[in-house]
Amino acid sequence: MKTATSSSTASTISGNSASVEELLQSSPELWRGCHPEARDRDGFRGVTTGYPELDAVLPGHGWPRNAMMEIITPYWGMGELQLLLPLMRSVTGQGKWILWISPPYLLYAPALVKAGIDTRQILVMQMETSCRDALWSMEKALQTENCGLVLAWQNWLPHRVIRRLQLAAEGGQTLGVLFHHHESKDSPSALRLSLNACRNSIGKVDYRHSEIQIRKSRGTYNLRTYGQRTVRITLNGGENSAGK
Amino acid sequence: MEKLHNTGQLPLLAPVRRQSPVARLPGCSRTSLPPPQVQPQARRQQALWYALYFPQLHPKPDGLSESQQQALLRELAAVVENVSSLISIHPQALVFEIRSSLKYFGGADLLHRHLKPLLEKKLTDLNLAPTFHYAACPTAVGSLLLAKAGRNLLVYRKDNLRAALGGLPLSLLSDVLITSRKQYRRLSNMGLRQLRDIWRLPTDGLKKRFGSEFVNRLNQSIGKTPEPMARYRPLPAFNACFDLSCAVETLDSLLPVAEELLTRLCDFLKKRDLCSSHLLLVLEHEQQNDTLVNLSLRQATRSRQHIMLLLETRFTRMEIPAPVSAVRLEVMRFDAFVPADDDLLRENHNRGTLSPSLTTFLEQLQARMGDRHIKSIHCIADHCPEYASDQPDCPDPGTLENASRHNIGSSAGKGVGKRAVTTDNKLTVNNPRPFWLLARPQQLAVKKGRLYYRRRITLLRGPERIEARWWSGCDVRRDYYIAVDDCGIRLWIYHEKTAQGAWFLHGLFA
Repeated sequence: MKTATSSSTASTISGNSASVEELLQSSPELWRGCHPEARDRDGFRGVTTGYPELDAVLPGHGWPRNAMMEIITPYWGMGELQLLLPLMRSVTGQGKWILWISPPYLLYAPALVKAGIDTRQILVMQMETSCRDALWSMEKALQTENCGLVLAWQNWLPHRVIRRLQLAAEGGQTLGVLFHHHESKDSPSALRLSLNACRNSIGKVDYRHSEIQIRKSRGTYNLRTYGQRTVRITLNGGENSAGK
Repeated sequence: MEKLHNTGQLPLLAPVRRQSPVARLPGCSRTSLPPPQVQPQARRQQALWYALYFPQLHPKPDGLSESQQQALLRELAAVVENVSSLISIHPQALVFEIRSSLKYFGGADLLHRHLKPLLEKKLTDLNLAPTFHYAACPTAVGSLLLAKAGRNLLVYRKDNLRAALGGLPLSLLSDVLITSRKQYRRLSNMGLRQLRDIWRLPTDGLKKRFGSEFVNRLNQSIGKTPEPMARYRPLPAFNACFDLSCAVETLDSLLPVAEELLTRLCDFLKKRDLCSSHLLLVLEHEQQNDTLVNLSLRQATRSRQHIMLLLETRFTRMEIPAPVSAVRLEVMRFDAFVPADDDLLRENHNRGTLSPSLTTFLEQLQARMGDRHIKSIHCIADHCPEYASDQPDCPDPGTLENASRHNIGSSAGKGVGKRAVTTDNKLTVNNPRPFWLLARPQQLAVKKGRLYYRRRITLLRGPERIEARWWSGCDVRRDYYIAVDDCGIRLWIYHEKTAQGAWFLHGLFA
C-alpha cells in the first residue's frame, strides 16, 4: 500500500495524470475510500445475498467471497438456512460443492431439492464427528478449490481457531460459515451477524420477518451512509417454493 | 537335395553335413538322426528361437476363445521367463530366444530339461494336458513351423534350415505362412504339397499370385529377411523393502523411510507410464504379526506428495503394537496413467465432476476418519417423510463421476436397495418441507389445549394428511402442520391419527 502511494506521487510530479489513474486502477491493494468505483471493483464485489435490503448494507453488496462468516442465532432454526439459500443455489449452480460439517439435525433432502439446490453437490459430515476432526476437515475444505461453501455448527471456538480458519478461507477462495449461539466480541472473522425474530410493537413475534444485525463487517468504512446496521428481511420459511 | 537347390530361384545353400547340425532333442522323434551335438562356436552370434506349440489350446468353435487363449499363454510365458527374456506370443504357441541363455544352462538339452517339468506343472495347474511340441531353429517362423509339425527338432545353423523345413506338408503351414483358406486352396490346386515345392517356384511369380506378404513370410522362415514381432511384456510388479538398522518405535520416525520407498515407487511408475490406486505398506515387527496399512485411493496417482500426505494423516491416527523392524511397500493395483487434462475452455466446467483437489480432500478425510463419516445425500420417492431422504456413504469416485456424467438417473441400482432413487431432483409432493428433520420425532406437551415445545406453539398452516406404509406393519397416519413458537422458530409438527392422538415435532424450517 505504501509503495503504491509513493509511486503514484512520483508520477503526479511528472505531470502524467492518466498514468496515475491507471496505476490506481491496476493495484488491487489500494483502498480508495468512498470512491463509488471502489465498491464495485471485482475483487471487492461480494456474492449477492439474494436480499436487496441486506445487499445494501453489506460492504461489496453481498457476502464476502473468500472469508469466514459467523451467524449468531439464539436457537437453531431461526431462519439461518433460509438466509443462505440464494448463496447455496449460486454455489451449486457454479458446479462447486457444499460441505455441511456436523449439522445439529438431519439434513432433509426434499427440502434442498425444493429450494433448488443440487443434492449431488452436497457432502454431509455426521454430527457425531469430534470437534477436533470437524475443525481439521473444515480447514482442509476451505483450502479446497472445489468447495464453494463450508457450513459448520460449532459453539465456543477460540479466536485463534477462527483466525486460522479465516486464513484458510482467504487462501482457498472459499466462504466458510460458522453457526453459533454465543457471540464472541472480537472474533477475527470477516463478517459477523446475528439473526433474531422480529417483534412487533406489542412484543409479539412477527414470524414473517427476521431481524439481522450486522455486528462486524470488514470493509465498512462510512458509517454515515451505512449507519443502519439492523435490517429486516422477509424469509420465505419454506412456504413459497423458493426454487422457482 | 542339391538338385533341388539348383532349380529354385532362391539362393543356394550348403549341403547338409552328415554329422549334424540337425540334432534331435530328447523326447519323441520319428526321424532317426544322430544324437545332438552342440556346435562349440557359432560363426556369428545369431538368435536361436525355441518354439513351444500347445495343441490342447485349440481355438473356437469347440475350443477356447482368443482372450482365454491369450490369458493361458501369458501364464505359460511367465514360466518361460525362467529361461529367456525375449518371448513372443503366437496363436497356440510361444516363441522365445535361447541363444543368449545356452551358456548359462549348459546347452539346449539341459535348458529343455530345466523347462519341461516347470511347463508340465503349470499346464496341470491350468487343467490342461501336460503335453507340448517343441523345436528350435534360428528363425522364429521356422521354429514355429517345426514345432507345429511335432518334429521336436533342433536346428543350430541357418544353412540347414531349408533341409529341415523342406519336407513340411502344406497343411501345416496354415496360420503361420498361409493366411487364408483361399490361398491354401490355390496352392494345393497348383499341385504343391510341401514347402520345398513352393521354393521351387520363381519368386516374382509367387509375389504376383500370392502377394508380397506371403513371400516375405517364406523368406522370414529361412532367415532371409528379419522378423519383427510383438514382444511379451510381463505385468508390472513392485515390491520394495527397507530393513531398519534398529527397531523404530514411533511412526513419525518411519516417515522418512516411507518417503524413500515412495520415491522409488514413483520413479518406477513414471518409467512405466503407470499409476496406482491401491498400495499396501507393511510394517514388520520382530515377533508379532505385521501391521498392514492399506492405502486405497479414490483416484489413481503417482504423486509422491499426495501419497505421503495420506500416509501422514493415516499415521496420526495409528498406533503400532511393537517396534518396527522393516518396512515393505507393495502395489496391489496398477492403473494406466491418465494425464490431467488442461482444458482450453476451463471455465466451461463440468458440473459435479470431482476435481483432483476435492478428491484429495475426500481421501484425506477418509484416511483420518474412516469411510463412515462423510455422507452424500439424496431424495427417495417415498411419501413417508422420514424415508424420503437418504444419506448413503460417500460413493466412490467412479460412481460419483459416472453419476454426474450420465446426469444421474442411471445410478438407481448402485446399492441403495430396491427403492427408486429420485436423484434427478423430482419430488413426490410440492408441499413445504423443513431443512432439519429430527432423527426421532419428539412428543409435544399439551397444556390447557395449547401445544408446548420449550415454548408455546401456534399453528400456522395445515393440515397435510400423510398416510403411508400401511403395508409394512408400522402404519403412518399423520396430519402435518406448520407452526411457529414464541421465538419465531418455524416447526413442522404432526398430529398422529391414532387412539392417543399425540402431537410430535418432526422438523425445523431453519
